[in-house]
Amino acid sequence: MTRRTRRIIGMVVHRVLVVLLLVYLLAPFVWMVLFSIYPSQALQQLTPDLNPAQLTLSSYARLLGDPTFLRPMANSAMVGISTTIVCMVLGTWCAYAIARYRFRGRNVVLLGMLTVQAIPVIVLAVPLFILLRAFGMYDQLPGLVVTYTAFTLPLVVWMLVGFFADIPPSLERAAVIDGCNRFQIMTRIALPLATPGLAATAILAFINSWSDFFLAKVLTTTNATTLPVRTAAFQGLFAMDYTSAATAGVITALPVLLLALIAQKWIIRGLVEGAVKG
Amino acid sequence: MSETGARNRRRDLRFALTLAVPAVAVVVLLLGYPMGYALYMSTYEWNDKLGQLPQFVGLGNYTAAVVDPQVQRSLVRTLWFTLVTVIGGVALAIGIAVLLNREFRGRTVARVLLLVPWAVPPVVNGIMWKLIFDGSSGVLNAILLGLGIIDTPVQWLADPTLAMNVLIFAEMWKLLPFLCLLMIAGLQNVPANLYRAAQIDGASPWRRFTRITLPNLRPTIMFALIVQSMWSLKVFDTIFVLTGGSGGPAEGTTTITFLTYIVSFSNLDRGYGASLAVIGMVLVLLVTLVWLALLGRRDRTEAR
Repeated sequence: MTRRTRRIIGMVVHRVLVVLLLVYLLAPFVWMVLFSIYPSQALQQLTPDLNPAQLTLSSYARLLGDPTFLRPMANSAMVGISTTIVCMVLGTWCAYAIARYRFRGRNVVLLGMLTVQAIPVIVLAVPLFILLRAFGMYDQLPGLVVTYTAFTLPLVVWMLVGFFADIPPSLERAAVIDGCNRFQIMTRIALPLATPGLAATAILAFINSWSDFFLAKVLTTTNATTLPVRTAAFQGLFAMDYTSAATAGVITALPVLLLALIAQKWIIRGLVEGAVKG
Repeated sequence: MSETGARNRRRDLRFALTLAVPAVAVVVLLLGYPMGYALYMSTYEWNDKLGQLPQFVGLGNYTAAVVDPQVQRSLVRTLWFTLVTVIGGVALAIGIAVLLNREFRGRTVARVLLLVPWAVPPVVNGIMWKLIFDGSSGVLNAILLGLGIIDTPVQWLADPTLAMNVLIFAEMWKLLPFLCLLMIAGLQNVPANLYRAAQIDGASPWRRFTRITLPNLRPTIMFALIVQSMWSLKVFDTIFVLTGGSGGPAEGTTTITFLTYIVSFSNLDRGYGASLAVIGMVLVLLVTLVWLALLGRRDRTEAR
């Protein structure tokens, strides 16, 4: 076997493996999308019948016209957006202080933000349930926002410190000479420069709170219930409404999927940043 | 001059603390307080179903948990699930990262598509795999029957062992992309001239992989092992959806986290549940220490 043929074989094997990988990554999701737009009998066979004449969006119309589905959807959106805003404001301040100033306890805070992410949510579930009930926030949207903020903030701070640290401090020194005060330096110089990082972090915070199932399951019943909890309810122990479940699944996944793909470059950087540096 | 310098530094400090305190306060209050509360609860016999006042039992809940066969079984399941998803996940991720680290057309697209499983919410992940593995109407059985590989539908989710394997498979799909992204980033930090030198020396691709790639990836691998262990140990959503909220069949997928949920929220045995939760947390800590001991030490001997 010459070197040339060996190289060609290697290339073919490589391409085949890449294609297999892509099928593996996408097929399950594509299958769910198909399930949401075709009658299930057409799909449950060796060669699925994908005749476009059978294609129907009726289950989307049904769910998007159902108040018991729209309510959780609106709840998820509101909780997600509120959590993101609170986390970004508090997180930006804290991360900026850590990245730019030396003060006692700085390392403790940074390390603490990393460590608390290891605490299993289940440890805090019952105490949070009791606390929220005592404050009248059980099954209320603000209760969820407060809870999600606590769990998301450490991650937000951790990511933002990395992004701020990448901005050269020399620009901010120039602003001092121009007579800006410390707060103005942060809002006018550092924040605009960190915009991509801020956007990626905000998207991550939103994805986190939008995707949560466990806390919403435990801390809400009907009033403040969120989309993942509603979606999970489509499958019972024995019977399952497949088309509705698939449709709800697609609706639940689509917003975060789109956000992730839009901000992919910065999200990937933000995700691996801490790991590669640490 | 030095006086203004000192004043400036004091102002710097005050400014930095003002910025940092709100976030720290939120985290300490909302995570620290419930954490203390959980420890406190775990020392009480506290069952909301019985409706009697909680009674202090000291470490009674813990001693009961240690000898509880249900807890022991769930711990074994948890460790098995964690071991397979963490080791299997990291190993596969290294392979995929090497695959995607080569130059080829569409490489960027392939890397971006890794984000699809990562972004899919865990609940949706459960539904997705249920559509595939369901015993009576899942597509996998339809395919296997159609190809003549099996004669009767396999009840993937009705057999405890099979259900655990399905769970591992489903979780793997979701967790692999993040590990892959980590490994790809790690590979980019490996100096390219090492490979060139090895090629000149006539080292085989496998030798290059074991002698250059793996040692240089070690910090990334360690990080991946620790982070993935933390996540695997607290898996919940996928179990809930795949098993209809039961952790079944026959307890087959009841990990320690799921058992804690059942005890705390179905049996309303808050005290016992709290002690199980704390045991789960100690497990996270222990596994992290094990990884550090295993990989940290090897690092030192090599430096010598």
